[in-house]
Amino acid sequence: TDAYLYSQSSVCDAETIFALSSGHGRCGVAVVRVSGPASSMVLRNMAGLTQALPPPRTALLRRITDPKSKELLDRGLVLWFKGPHSFTGEDSAEFHIHGGPAVITAVLQALGSLEGVRPAEAGEFTRRAFHAGKLGLTEVEGLGDLIHAETEAQRRQALRQMDGELGRLYQDWSYRLKRCLAHVEAFIDFSEDELIEDGVLNQVDSSVRQLETEIERHLKDERRGERLRTGVQVVIAGATNAGKSSLLNTHRVPPSRGTTRRPLVEREGVRRARQRVEQADLTLVVVDSTQLPPDPQLVAAFLQQHLSTVLPSPEAGMTAASDKVLLVLNKSDLVPEEQRERTEGELRERPGLPPACFLSCSTSTGLEDFLTVLQSRVKTLCGDPLSGAPSLTQARHRAHLQQSVQALNQYHQYRDQDLALAAEGVRLALTHLGRITGRVGAEEILDIIFRDFCIGK
Amino acid sequence: MLAQKLHLLRHNVLSFVSSRTGSDFTRRQYDVIVVGGGHAGTEAAAAAARLGAETLLITQKIMTIGALSCNPSLGGVGKGQLVREVDALDGLCGRAGDAAGVHFSILNRSKGPAVWGPRAQLDRERYRQFIQSELLSTPRLTVLEGSVDELLVSQPNPEEPGHHRVTGIRLVDGSHPILSSSVVLTTGTFLSGSLFMGQTTSPGGRMGDAQSCAGLSYTLKETLGLRVGRLRTGTPPRIVKESVDLSLAQLQAPDKQPTPFSFLNTHTRCKPEEQLPCYLTHTTPGVERVVRESVHLNCHIQQDAKGPRYCPSIESRVLRFPGRRHQVWLEPEGLTSDLLYPQGLSMTMPPELQLRLLREIPALHRAEIRTPGYGVQYDFVCPTQLTPSLQVKSTQGLFLAGQINGTTGYEEAAAQGLWAGVNAGRTALSLPPMALSRTQSYIGVLIDDLVGRGVTEPYRMFTSRAEFRTYLRPDNADLRLTPRGFEEVGCVTLRRYKKAVSVRDGLQEALMALQSVALSSTRWREKLGNISLSENKSTTLNGLDLLQYKDVSFEMLASAFPECLSQYFEYSQRLKIEAVYRPHCEKQSREMERIRSEESLSLPSDMDYLSLPVSLSQEVREILDRVRPNTLGAATRLPGMTPAGIIHLLNYVLRTGQRNRHTEHRNRSSQKEGEKGQLCASNIPISQ
Repeated sequence: TDAYLYSQSSVCDAETIFALSSGHGRCGVAVVRVSGPASSMVLRNMAGLTQALPPPRTALLRRITDPKSKELLDRGLVLWFKGPHSFTGEDSAEFHIHGGPAVITAVLQALGSLEGVRPAEAGEFTRRAFHAGKLGLTEVEGLGDLIHAETEAQRRQALRQMDGELGRLYQDWSYRLKRCLAHVEAFIDFSEDELIEDGVLNQVDSSVRQLETEIERHLKDERRGERLRTGVQVVIAGATNAGKSSLLNTHRVPPSRGTTRRPLVEREGVRRARQRVEQADLTLVVVDSTQLPPDPQLVAAFLQQHLSTVLPSPEAGMTAASDKVLLVLNKSDLVPEEQRERTEGELRERPGLPPACFLSCSTSTGLEDFLTVLQSRVKTLCGDPLSGAPSLTQARHRAHLQQSVQALNQYHQYRDQDLALAAEGVRLALTHLGRITGRVGAEEILDIIFRDFCIGK
Repeated sequence: MLAQKLHLLRHNVLSFVSSRTGSDFTRRQYDVIVVGGGHAGTEAAAAAARLGAETLLITQKIMTIGALSCNPSLGGVGKGQLVREVDALDGLCGRAGDAAGVHFSILNRSKGPAVWGPRAQLDRERYRQFIQSELLSTPRLTVLEGSVDELLVSQPNPEEPGHHRVTGIRLVDGSHPILSSSVVLTTGTFLSGSLFMGQTTSPGGRMGDAQSCAGLSYTLKETLGLRVGRLRTGTPPRIVKESVDLSLAQLQAPDKQPTPFSFLNTHTRCKPEEQLPCYLTHTTPGVERVVRESVHLNCHIQQDAKGPRYCPSIESRVLRFPGRRHQVWLEPEGLTSDLLYPQGLSMTMPPELQLRLLREIPALHRAEIRTPGYGVQYDFVCPTQLTPSLQVKSTQGLFLAGQINGTTGYEEAAAQGLWAGVNAGRTALSLPPMALSRTQSYIGVLIDDLVGRGVTEPYRMFTSRAEFRTYLRPDNADLRLTPRGFEEVGCVTLRRYKKAVSVRDGLQEALMALQSVALSSTRWREKLGNISLSENKSTTLNGLDLLQYKDVSFEMLASAFPECLSQYFEYSQRLKIEAVYRPHCEKQSREMERIRSEESLSLPSDMDYLSLPVSLSQEVREILDRVRPNTLGAATRLPGMTPAGIIHLLNYVLRTGQRNRHTEHRNRSSQKEGEKGQLCASNIPISQ
């Protein structure tokens, strides 16, 4: 191996990660976890511990401050875990802070501003624990599902963000950065043999500078940026006249904060409708009960079929059995009582089908039961650290953008000295931006090269 | 029937005799048979023989062994890295280039040592001679002239994955079969090849050579059930040098001091002053006119077989990028050759129009064509059907290398040939197959891209394909590959190994000596004169830190500390490069470690993904079943693969790996830690 060249310092630069490991809803206490070699540095900087660290696994009440501005962020408990006696096997720290969104956001952003510290990827804590041999094989069984859930949640969150102005901004940066990289790479791989116009690099110079300016301005000027959409998103879906609007008007959802109600008008087009459903944390599928087959034994199959037309395809991670779906059988007052009861019996605990509630929007029959089910669902979602914590997303974005700008500095630093190292800066910047907008592979860069240049040799 | 009869070598006019004694010509059993004598085949045969395998190279024409079918040059940006790596593993092409080069230059000299591209224009005759005499003097290697009619296959060894096992070949003349444990196919463009010029089409893989055997294609497609695709390529007309008005072209001089490709050479055969120049000229609007007028007479460009987006014919260049001036390089074909090679003018129109086109270029206004350009279309085997050792997954002992895998270029072919030869030899000698990591070499990147993703156009190496470009440099290929090539692979001779080890130790010592001289930046300024150091006055810097600065050379430091540094003068350039790149490579080392550990987790090639008892979505199952990635690393890079899917797979592999390890422990007394066997998961720690 290459032990000869890299033996001296290869071990020391593992990255330190952080994540909010409690829910983002209105909880009393939020827990932020940090893991990696810089954990002790993080603890010293943020909890004002200039002297010794606290004894491992002992809670300590501290003022938590921003390491740069020294501004007080919160008072809370801090804990120190010396590796290997921690969940991940690495040096770790925990911050137990007040659960308000403002405090959480401030703490996460402060963490992200520290050098060598970044937000964790989906499942990264667990994966580290796994690699450190901290998880038994049986626990690993659950790891796949956990990571699946986390990626799903992040994906939904990202889709939501990418939908808006902010998303377009990031996509635009990513597109421009890809072109910069393609042009530098074209210059490296082909300029000796090809007519790569002079000035390609000069154009890259100014594009990179422009990008740096824009990203930096964006990082400084948060308030003008679009607010991330917060809260649990609930989408109401169903066929024409199933009663979606009446449901929206009828059910005064109890003031469970953060719930957005978004009716879907069927004319909006199937594609957009599905897109909405895909981004939602919870989907209420409304069915007109009078359309159900009169034979209760056929109802389950009918509903299954119906769901498959309303919900996005299974590869999007949404299946009918998923706990992200509730079936609302509306207009129950128009169905004979006896048929309704037998149908209810058929549908109870039916594997492969989400829970179904009979309801009449016009008479309000069944509304109470439905609201109970809905409320418990929303509560679970709010308490779930996975369902789109916007402050975490924000911190992730900031960290990646900052790293991206730093990497672009390397481009200028080496531009005249060593183009391979300069290009490395652009590659790295794109990797960081790609953590927000999607990974960029070598093939994609080659596609741009061959589109923009005639490579003949 | 165009195929030639089997010639016994001692009768050959070339006196191209194997090193084996005459009585062995009746031998009908080899460890390794290599089919094809191009860049892939010669490297494969030589590598298998170096490994210790009794090897037979079969070629249609011994005369064309080592022929440069297309351009008379070797190396370049990305390709030069491959040549250096092949050389570091003791392959032939680097030394052949040093023997045959007539014009050496390092491309990208101003862009940073990681992307320097060593290149040479070659004398075709010298190249061929070198390769032929090298093969001649290789122990355990026999060369046979003949045409292979079919591959012999039998039932697989039930202990190993695969549906078939290769047992040898049969020649066209119908003589007895020749048996072997492994076969390497390097048939280039000859697999169902057809040649195109104007409106005429004829079967064949190269103008002037016999066509390939339909039998081989049949075995691959029908018997082994391999998926094949079709690609196209082409070559330009060769021009009579005397008929060219070189005063109208721009002279391109070689480097004043040629840099050898090989780590073993200190100088090239061609003396600096004997080198030949190249010439640069450009297309004109007249060229574009001729192309447009001849489209209807040009079968090749009307076909839909996939050609490359780079190195396209002049026809596709002007059709895709109209109204532009395109570069044409006029390259020498050798010291005594009376021809010029017009790089960039590959074309397939009728010969009379080729002449008209050439004459639209001022320097070529009186040009005469010796042989016209033509196009080739040929079958390739979709390389996702191969393992990282370049063995066909379904067929034990069958290896493929070169254009048959969908690549283009001599260097790409040589690199695969060497690695296929290594593994064919290892298989024959009952050693486990080996893979090269993409974190360690361009050869690894090349093979991983091929077997992991497949090709949609002829695959060529670019430095942009390598994630760890700042580490995979031409200067350190020996340190990256030679020790491992000797200690683990077995394809490197002792002489080269000793040399690499002494270089490694020398560099290591020199780096330590550099680190041992430490001064404040003020003192450095006093010692070295007026250099700009960004650090403030009190910072202590050692020699290695200082060497990172643009204006500081090793010579400057050595003159300041002659007693401890001057003995390392021979390494001055390598030390400078090492100092600049080391901090960046260190930053990447974690990412490299991650990729390597994922690459070392093999996924069994016979895994039944559709019914695997783990939680995977149908989507992911189908992707895995279609592509059948060789390692967890390759699975990770598949489009559509989910992180959760990876973890489930990892978990599955670890479990089965653990089970296998128990049985293996019983069977094998010693097993190397971290070695790449099937299902080796030992470098991922598992809690007890």
